[in-house]
Amino acid sequence: MELAYLAAGFGAGITTIGAGIGIGMIGKSAMEGSARQPEASGDIRTSMLISAAFIEGVALFGQVVCIILALN
Amino acid sequence: MRQYFRIILLTLLFTVGITIVTQAETGEDNRIDLIGKVVDHYYLDFKPLTTIELPRLIYDQGSFHFYRSTTSLLNNSDRFTDAAFIDNEKNIVNGKVKPVTYELVRTDGNAPQFDFSLTSHLVFFWFAALLTISIFFPLSAKYRKGTGRNTEPKGAFQNIFETLVLFIRDDIALQNIGPEKYLKFTPYLLTVFFFILFMNFFGLMPWGVSSTADITITAVLAILTFGITQIFASKDHWKHVFWFPGVPVPIKFILMPVELIGLFTKPFALCIRLFANMASGKILIFSLLGIIFIFSDLFGPGIAYGTSWIWVLMTLFVYLIKALVSFIQAYVFTILSALFIGLAVAKHSDEHAH
Repeated sequence: MELAYLAAGFGAGITTIGAGIGIGMIGKSAMEGSARQPEASGDIRTSMLISAAFIEGVALFGQVVCIILALN
Repeated sequence: MRQYFRIILLTLLFTVGITIVTQAETGEDNRIDLIGKVVDHYYLDFKPLTTIELPRLIYDQGSFHFYRSTTSLLNNSDRFTDAAFIDNEKNIVNGKVKPVTYELVRTDGNAPQFDFSLTSHLVFFWFAALLTISIFFPLSAKYRKGTGRNTEPKGAFQNIFETLVLFIRDDIALQNIGPEKYLKFTPYLLTVFFFILFMNFFGLMPWGVSSTADITITAVLAILTFGITQIFASKDHWKHVFWFPGVPVPIKFILMPVELIGLFTKPFALCIRLFANMASGKILIFSLLGIIFIFSDLFGPGIAYGTSWIWVLMTLFVYLIKALVSFIQAYVFTILSALFIGLAVAKHSDEHAH
């Protein structure tokens, strides 16, 4: 039973790392893009938010699994 | 740097001072039920003022049973009882039986067939719906009369909402669905956006509950988007699902299940994303405040008092983030709905390869 808590903790950490890397890369590219083409920054922001939402969705799947692990 | 150091030093001094003063241990079991704060309840929590119990409606063995509150049910019904009273003594306060878990069971220990009782999430869901209706029906009446169309919009109220409505119409619906069909779906997108926004904002109020932290409600919203996407889907959409054009026949057979699964994972992700974001904000706030109590257990109440301002400040920060997130999640739900609808209703020309 204690191993489930351990797994939940590790899982939460690893999903956070993954989501952090992913959203960081999106933010980096979006900033570069809007620095090169400031007039396109509105479109870039929209697509950045959409892709960030997708990554976040996957990360949250992981977190939900971790919460379920910790609760049972 | 020196300033920070001074603050830390002050905190420590303050801590030591208090530790000496308050060494008394209460010895009670002061555990906080974190999950119990996040899930929905059969009562509205206005602690420490009062708790309003919601009506219970139960369908069991062929008949409906209606009671004004859980307390009235426990005192008047010999059919149902609180789940905690099966093994333990009844909880009697001032001569009245008071509920403990609010989870009803039959007196033989089995759960009733259907529990249609109101819950706190549902009540705040209705509040948000009422708010949406009471804001937008008068507003649309205003526009029908001509204010805002023939003249400039009047007052801060109309100006605020016109900005948001135009933002959704032009930046979300028009860009993602396309100029031909966007007006047909704008009402749905507007409704969903403001409804989710108000539900999220209710969670930021004192004693408020954000209904979007309930997976049932987000699932219903996702099913609505899924239904609209499939009902208004063009012929090309179904062709892309079942018989992908422009690829060799064996690949078509591989792509068919993939596309079919993709059809269902989109609304599923929509549902989980909203739910998990809103629920995790709540859990985060309670965890940060819980650190104070953990410190109190580990190092004594003095250090807990002394360092509590750190966690309160961090809670304030998370609270502001939560306000931001409630806006962003409403926006993300709307824009993804628009994106899925736009993908489904678009007519592809088959000349170009995919």
